[in-house]
Amino acid sequence: MPGMNSGINVSDPAVVAAFKAALIHQGLIALLIFALVGLAWITLRVWLPVQAPGIGPAAEPPAAEPPAAAAGEPAWRQVLRIGFGLLWVFDGILQAQPKMAVGLPSQVIEPIAASSPRWVQQVVNWAGTNWSYHPMQAGASAVWIQVGIGIWLLVAARGTLSRLAGLASVGWGLVVWVFGESFGGIFAPGLTWMFGAPGAVLIYAVAGALIALPDRAWYSPWLGRLMTAGTGLFLVGMAVLQAWPGRGFWQGIANGQPGTLASMTNTMAQTPQPGFLSAWVGAFTTFDEAHGFAVNLVVVAALAVTGAAFLSGRPRLIRPVLIGFTVLCLADWVLIEDLGFLGGLGTDPNSMIPYVLLATAGYLAVARAPATATEPAAAQPAPRAGWRERLRVVAAPRTVASAGIRSVVSVGAIGVIVLGAAPMAVAQASPVADTILAESINGPSAPPVDFPAPDFSLTDQHGRAVTLASLRGKVVLLTFLDDTCSVDCPLIAQEFRQAGQLLGADTARVELVAINYNPLDTQVSYIQAFDRQEGLAGVPNWLYLTGTVAQLQPVWRQYAIAPPEILPAGSMIGHGDYAFVIDQAGHMRQELDFDTGPGTQATKSSFAAELTDAARQLLGHS
Amino acid sequence: VRARPAAVLALAAAALLAGCGSAAPAASGPAPEAPPGGAPFLATSLVTGAGTWAVVVMGGSVATEDNFWQLFVRPAGRSTWQLVTPPGTPDNGGLVLAGADAQSLITGFRPSQYLTYTPLIVTRDGGQAWSSAGPLDAALANVPDALAAAPGSGTLLALTTDGTAELAPPGYTSWTTLATQRSLATTPAGGRCGLQDLTAAAFAPQGTPLLGGSCGRPGTTGIFARTGGTWHPAGPAIPAALAGQDITVRRLTQTGQDLAALLTAGAGPAASVLAAWSPDAGGHWTLSPALPLHGAALSSASFGLGAAAVITTANRGEIIAGPGSSWSSLPALPPGTATLAPGPGGAADALTVNHGTLTIWHLAPGAAAWTRVQVIQVPIQYGSSG
Repeated sequence: MPGMNSGINVSDPAVVAAFKAALIHQGLIALLIFALVGLAWITLRVWLPVQAPGIGPAAEPPAAEPPAAAAGEPAWRQVLRIGFGLLWVFDGILQAQPKMAVGLPSQVIEPIAASSPRWVQQVVNWAGTNWSYHPMQAGASAVWIQVGIGIWLLVAARGTLSRLAGLASVGWGLVVWVFGESFGGIFAPGLTWMFGAPGAVLIYAVAGALIALPDRAWYSPWLGRLMTAGTGLFLVGMAVLQAWPGRGFWQGIANGQPGTLASMTNTMAQTPQPGFLSAWVGAFTTFDEAHGFAVNLVVVAALAVTGAAFLSGRPRLIRPVLIGFTVLCLADWVLIEDLGFLGGLGTDPNSMIPYVLLATAGYLAVARAPATATEPAAAQPAPRAGWRERLRVVAAPRTVASAGIRSVVSVGAIGVIVLGAAPMAVAQASPVADTILAESINGPSAPPVDFPAPDFSLTDQHGRAVTLASLRGKVVLLTFLDDTCSVDCPLIAQEFRQAGQLLGADTARVELVAINYNPLDTQVSYIQAFDRQEGLAGVPNWLYLTGTVAQLQPVWRQYAIAPPEILPAGSMIGHGDYAFVIDQAGHMRQELDFDTGPGTQATKSSFAAELTDAARQLLGHS
Repeated sequence: VRARPAAVLALAAAALLAGCGSAAPAASGPAPEAPPGGAPFLATSLVTGAGTWAVVVMGGSVATEDNFWQLFVRPAGRSTWQLVTPPGTPDNGGLVLAGADAQSLITGFRPSQYLTYTPLIVTRDGGQAWSSAGPLDAALANVPDALAAAPGSGTLLALTTDGTAELAPPGYTSWTTLATQRSLATTPAGGRCGLQDLTAAAFAPQGTPLLGGSCGRPGTTGIFARTGGTWHPAGPAIPAALAGQDITVRRLTQTGQDLAALLTAGAGPAASVLAAWSPDAGGHWTLSPALPLHGAALSSASFGLGAAAVITTANRGEIIAGPGSSWSSLPALPPGTATLAPGPGGAADALTVNHGTLTIWHLAPGAAAWTRVQVIQVPIQYGSSG
């Protein structure tokens, strides 16, 4: 997929160090946020004595809340809120793994999207490209957003803040489901409950939606029935899908090759993980290859029976199958999904734990609903305050002072989410990739130098004589390009062209210059063809200079670049990749290794940004 | 959700492909994979006054850009081949040859990767020294007769991937459009053929530019000659037995004093191939009997002086001595045969490829088996195109 891959080694030390630095930096800010919120809260409590308990978003609602809510948060909601809160925190911690910043688009998102239709790939590629342009900001943002949502869910047990936490879980869950999981693979072939369909974070989103329900719905008997019926219907559907012939799940081995399930688990067993776990998954693979039909039969039957029990809505039927379903999910999680989060690039523990949480919540909703559902019926709920009125109450200093510790931590968690989201939003608005990508390929920029750049007298693409001296007064970004090179030189040319665009109003003060690096094709016709190829023919401050070999050789020598090597047997000219930054007085100020690396959109943009930064420094901008 | 190991391996492999034109230290090349990929139909041979030339693809996989096309020559009067690939120009996209005069050969380097134009390299001494010409500011078509040189004048005719035929005088820096598939299709000659695309360019020995293509009208041959400023149909009449088949010109080239063409009729299991020779720029043709392909496709087609030889994707070799002759099957081809160089009297050389090794096998007239006569080690620069 174009753009998805930054092309950088996921374990590149420069990138990993930058990612860690970004995390530590933002982590300190997160702590500061909590400290400031806490300090503000304590200060207000000292200055403004709390008048009465029960005022504020986290306190007991006096008259504005229905009596049902007064009975406390129901068990099903606690299971979802705490369970998914912990999962979000865990996922956030996983996002902090060193490989994640660079590896997520190319090694997680792209492979998942690879089997999806083209339109899905395009949607995912858009996000992956944005990520790969700013891997540090995006990676760190994902950490803080998920940790923030998790903490928010964990601490906000009641009230508006709690419901908003559920909505945040829905929102971010859908973002991850679409862009990170390619819609959970629902548009790809081979969809199966056993591998995590329809996507783990979709379950997070469903749970978030349930958490976001208003308090008056908590004890509604219909809610429990709806939850169990929905779960039952889903599981029956998954059973039918699992039983569908021709999808390769009934065969342990087909045509001498492992069946669909064995093939998947075999792949999972090869990822880096503890030996015992790999052995378990490997043993299951062997077992499935030998007894593929039986394994699928058990799964289909278990899903169908569990689904039917949930559809019945009867707690007595659901309770035993829930235990069995939990065992099945745990077995699937360990033996098929291989825990999901190992290997250095796992983003979440996959779908089975969320399924267990959701099913358990459904059971609790029907099992405990009748006892408490009668309570709200006895009393008429008081009219609720309008949202304007409630906001006014929340904003009042006295209300803040009276808020509980949970509310204060919730506000801190929201701050952490904003801390993550804001840099990501700012970074995504920038069309220029982070220069860290270029640095990871060629190392940090060499220390500045200051000596007269060797002069030259060559011919440009229009046949005019050009000397370095004739360019005095302008910053010169200089490189050496082989006009028949099929890889690096076109990429460097694109980076120079992009740098020219990024310079904007400064374009007229900067000259983009290339000198021919090919001792065979020195004709102007070749550099003209190269210019047309790279869209440089009409760029006013672009010069591609050439000359005879006798003219070019001294220039190569004076600039101390490797002489071009004429390789045999159909290979292009062998040469290095360089860029030089020459100031307005004709002094060499920077010598850059300019190996293009993989030449992805992100790295090209990063190199262009490096050139632009260098030119702007000399122009007096920083 | 966790990364797949395959993706990790793919990225690791991509990371190894850095550097421009610098050969990887490993000399052994990639894992065995024979024959190497590429556009195998470009593998061919032709005869000029300097000798017999052959192009084949060698090295490793296309995916890693380790496929390198090589040019060999068997100088006139000699029996051994030499590696004469022009150095310093990337040729992963394929080589296309055009013989100019007795000692001259023009080589077009089909662009690959980020290169989009076609470097041209010329030799005037049988491949010993090369000099740069052109370039053609477009990608040469992926067919063996995408380039043709006019005898005498040296004017070059190039067929590009977008179906344009371009002309340039020697030096090859100033190109003018001779025709496009669309413009030719709208002429009376192109209209009668229902021209679908252009597949070959040639000059007749008399200097007439010709274009070949595939016709949408069954039983019609799409060969057109440019005389008097207009295009005229110049293809052979197809036998009645093949009148219902679509005809495609696969080769169109000059051999000695003749114009030679190779045509395929029909598709799939019914497809067959015909050779044709014309001594007068397409005025009159001598057609060979149809050679059934039995569901296979052509993987290489070569013309010698009069003779023609083809290899099918079923690894079958067939040869025809010239006008008035019939096709005869060659003995089982040596493994890895990339192209044939047909000689007189049914003799032929088979060029077989195994990564960086080219082996020449000779078939004497009337012989029942191939004899290995030469081995050439080619210094493939693995990793230099990544």
